[in-house]
Amino acid sequence: MGFALVGELLSSSDGLGRQIFKSGSLHAISAVMADLIATIVLALLLSGMVVRVARWLRPWRHDLSRCHFLSRTKVDAMRTLTRRSVIATAGAALAAPAIIRPGWAADTVKLGCLFSSSGTMANLEGRMNYVVQMAAAEVNASGGVLGRQIEVVTTNPASDWPTYAQMGRQLLQEQKVAAMFGCWTSVSRKSVLPVVEQNDGLLFYPLHFEGEENSKSVVYLNSPPSSSVLPAVDYLMSADGGSAKRFFMLGSDYVWPRTINKILKAYWAKKGIQPSAWQEQYVPFGFSNFQNLVNQIRSFTSAGGGQPIVVLTVVGSSIPDFLREYTNQGLKPTDIPVLGLDMVEADLEGLNTEGLVGNLNCWAYLQNAPGPRNQAFLANWAAYVKKSGAPYRPDVAIDPMVSAYDGVHLWAAAAKKAGSFDVPEVRKAFGGLTFDCPSGYTIGMTAENNYVSRGVFIGSVNEKQGFDVLWQSKDTPKPVPFSES
Amino acid sequence: MRSFVRTWLAGGLVILLLLQGRAFAAPAASMSRTDVLAKLCAAGGQDVPSALRQMLDGAVDASAADRDWAKRVVQGFSTRSLRCADDGSAFLTGPGGAVNAATLAPGASPDGLRAPLPSLRTRALLEQLDAALTLFVAPAAADRLAAVHTLERRGDGLPPGLLRHALDAEHDAQIAAGLRGLIVAAGLHSPDIPERLAAIHALGRDPTSQVVTTLATLRADPGYAEPPGVAAALDQELTQARWWVRIGDGLSLAYNGVSAGSVLFLSSVGLAIIFGLMGVINLAQGELIMIGAYATFCVQQAMRSVAPSMLDWYPLVAIPVVFVVTALVGVAMELLVIRHLYRRPLMTLLATWAISLLLVNLVRVGFGTQNLEFQTPSYLTGGVRLVGDFLVTWNHMGAIAFALAAFAVTLALLRLTDIGLFIRTVTQNRAMAGCVGISTRRIDMAAFGFGAGLAGLAGLALSPIYNVNPTMGTGFIIDSFMVVVLGGVGSLFGTAVASLGIGLVNVGIEPFYGAVAAKVVALLLVILLIQRRPEGLIALKGRR
Repeated sequence: MGFALVGELLSSSDGLGRQIFKSGSLHAISAVMADLIATIVLALLLSGMVVRVARWLRPWRHDLSRCHFLSRTKVDAMRTLTRRSVIATAGAALAAPAIIRPGWAADTVKLGCLFSSSGTMANLEGRMNYVVQMAAAEVNASGGVLGRQIEVVTTNPASDWPTYAQMGRQLLQEQKVAAMFGCWTSVSRKSVLPVVEQNDGLLFYPLHFEGEENSKSVVYLNSPPSSSVLPAVDYLMSADGGSAKRFFMLGSDYVWPRTINKILKAYWAKKGIQPSAWQEQYVPFGFSNFQNLVNQIRSFTSAGGGQPIVVLTVVGSSIPDFLREYTNQGLKPTDIPVLGLDMVEADLEGLNTEGLVGNLNCWAYLQNAPGPRNQAFLANWAAYVKKSGAPYRPDVAIDPMVSAYDGVHLWAAAAKKAGSFDVPEVRKAFGGLTFDCPSGYTIGMTAENNYVSRGVFIGSVNEKQGFDVLWQSKDTPKPVPFSES
Repeated sequence: MRSFVRTWLAGGLVILLLLQGRAFAAPAASMSRTDVLAKLCAAGGQDVPSALRQMLDGAVDASAADRDWAKRVVQGFSTRSLRCADDGSAFLTGPGGAVNAATLAPGASPDGLRAPLPSLRTRALLEQLDAALTLFVAPAAADRLAAVHTLERRGDGLPPGLLRHALDAEHDAQIAAGLRGLIVAAGLHSPDIPERLAAIHALGRDPTSQVVTTLATLRADPGYAEPPGVAAALDQELTQARWWVRIGDGLSLAYNGVSAGSVLFLSSVGLAIIFGLMGVINLAQGELIMIGAYATFCVQQAMRSVAPSMLDWYPLVAIPVVFVVTALVGVAMELLVIRHLYRRPLMTLLATWAISLLLVNLVRVGFGTQNLEFQTPSYLTGGVRLVGDFLVTWNHMGAIAFALAAFAVTLALLRLTDIGLFIRTVTQNRAMAGCVGISTRRIDMAAFGFGAGLAGLAGLALSPIYNVNPTMGTGFIIDSFMVVVLGGVGSLFGTAVASLGIGLVNVGIEPFYGAVAAKVVALLLVILLIQRRPEGLIALKGRR
């Protein structure tokens, strides 16, 4: 009933609250404080509304028999809610931005962020807002872009995929941002895609993903399968990687895991591996009870027929839940290693990783990447966390953070080269751009498409909740948007 | 090229040692320390397996000192505390400073050392080698027993005589029995038929799916099953083992269902009181669970600093603390907000939602968004295998036990105490209860506090199973309401039956049609049941 409607109202006004505070000059207030304040404002609004309704209802109460308290009062209360209070609340919420938002100066250019700071993706996506701001601050410190300072506008789509599209539209049409950085899951990217295409915007997407997409409105900062998953699977199938012969694919039920697994199956079939050598399982988002599935993996491990591996494409809070049950049931990486395609350092926070040492992931950046550029990046991030009071660990950096960081610098370079903030001009300038990524590779773009060529790392879980670099590519392989099959 | 480098490295090491003027014990021929270290340190890691093989083969005849050395090097290599210098020397680093890896003599390690990372293939070899060495060098019986269990999984390719050697030196009866079992199992491929049959029957005594696979593979090999009696023995053990595995799988499914049901019960029992008995739609219920988990964390941290030796027992210490803290939060919620809204369910819904947002963000500001790290007590980690592959995991067992205890205590409180009587009275007929002199307001507050406290205890019990972060509570709320509504509003028995039912249905369908379908089917069943019985499974008698 009205539940969904109220949900919409609450979550959007929460997001609105965030925008009020972030779009103005109140940069010092961190997103979390903004969240908190927005919530308090909301709570006050609600309780104020409630008190008003209560007062309005008071004369009625005496007439009603106490024994039938559920009959009329409830109905009237609901009617009142729809009639008056919603309008009042909505009015107040809508009026607020006009009051608080200062007229934005002409010497700034806006970048938008579409990352959730609540819901199942909060722990991972939340930190992205800060790294974009950090990169923007770096560009600003070196004189800005074309004489303008970058201003970062953040939103909170609350891990709700359609809300990404809604917030994206707001950023493009109301905030007039020059480019957006956002989305973690492919389903959120697919939801924003029509919005950026219709409005001729630019979305910088920082995750490695399933490929099979080549939009002129999206800059794919991270790698498609051909330069991320396939090299890692190749490694696991080599002698050094344990000569994997059988594969248990476990994923969240949405487009990224399904497409990745489809590509993998086609790849294995091409290598002459029989379909009986793999199993495929999907779980809903936010799934946490992995007892049955780990039982199945145990049977799969002991079924014989060659070294088995788990290709893990579950996302968000399901990753630590899975790993906890994996250790709990006594599985070991030497028996059946897990290749966690979405597994980052942040997923290991709070886990005892001793039983997980040797499990793998593959990304275009690992925190333990060698080189002075990475050291500098990590030091900057730690300093930024301390300065901004972000609620994240200063000593953890993950690949999508670095990708977004690269993205801000690539955009700034493109705008400088184009001499304009207009999306078509900026897009034309992408060809031939390079940037010295903290990963140690010099990443680059071609005029051919909007993909960025990145290096490939395979990481191995260590005791200290991090990943050691097990293997890394010599240079940056050319990204191939579409798989061959 | 590589052999050249290796010779050069080995030579460099010897020269270095000579320069240092240290006495160098002549290594056993089978376990040349310099050679092993040079191979472990070689760039690319291709020589690591041969170095490990060399140590494993050498372990049988090596001196005690050499075995100790090998164990330290193996551990250093697995934990990456073995560091290699470019000149061929290697060091073992540790909290007490560095030692030279060849001589184990203390010596400052130069800067800029490489720490070779074992590949997946070498990790399996390392596990086997470490267990084999542990059999000889570990003073603690528990370590040696663990090594025997590791070798049960990784017994392939052990050098002949190693197990017998270890058995000769073993004093502990349990470990000796384990070793004898290993020796018998190693006879599986022996040309001696009685030895082979003994191995087959020994395997059949502890049937797992691993055993089934091994036996089935041997059965399919015509050369192996050819001698008289072997095929029959294989068939007999295979049939039996398959049965046990099937029984074990059934038991696992039931166990998983019960444990999922008990998690559901724990997360919804507080709500059963608050929503079921009082009719308050409390959307902050999940956040009360979250606060319970955070309170547990605080107790753990306090114990860590005050009484580190008792750290394993923090969940017990946390029980009263967590209950009081969350009950106080609940009472505060009741006094400040909900009290004023008892007759307006929709308002309560909105207000409790606002409270839940407030609580999430307060915790986020106070603790950060990351998952908290809990020291899972030793009695809640791992598990014990009973039949086939059926593993009783202690953390889920803990949740089941906790759910039973919570059920018993709540039931006793509602049925046997005065306050329980008052709560039931107010539930059945609020106006009449007021008329006979029960202070309904005070009972409401007590009931709300009790329900909140139960939610907090759920947070405590779920902390070894779930991620503890500020948004953990949102995952529980929908399932909890489903359980309470299905069970019958106001009935504690109904809540228990409903949570067990939903847990079993969810888990029972999962292996056959997948987790997504299981969720859909469970929801459909709930809808059908509620249509048939709008009052819920167990309807409360009395006027409402």
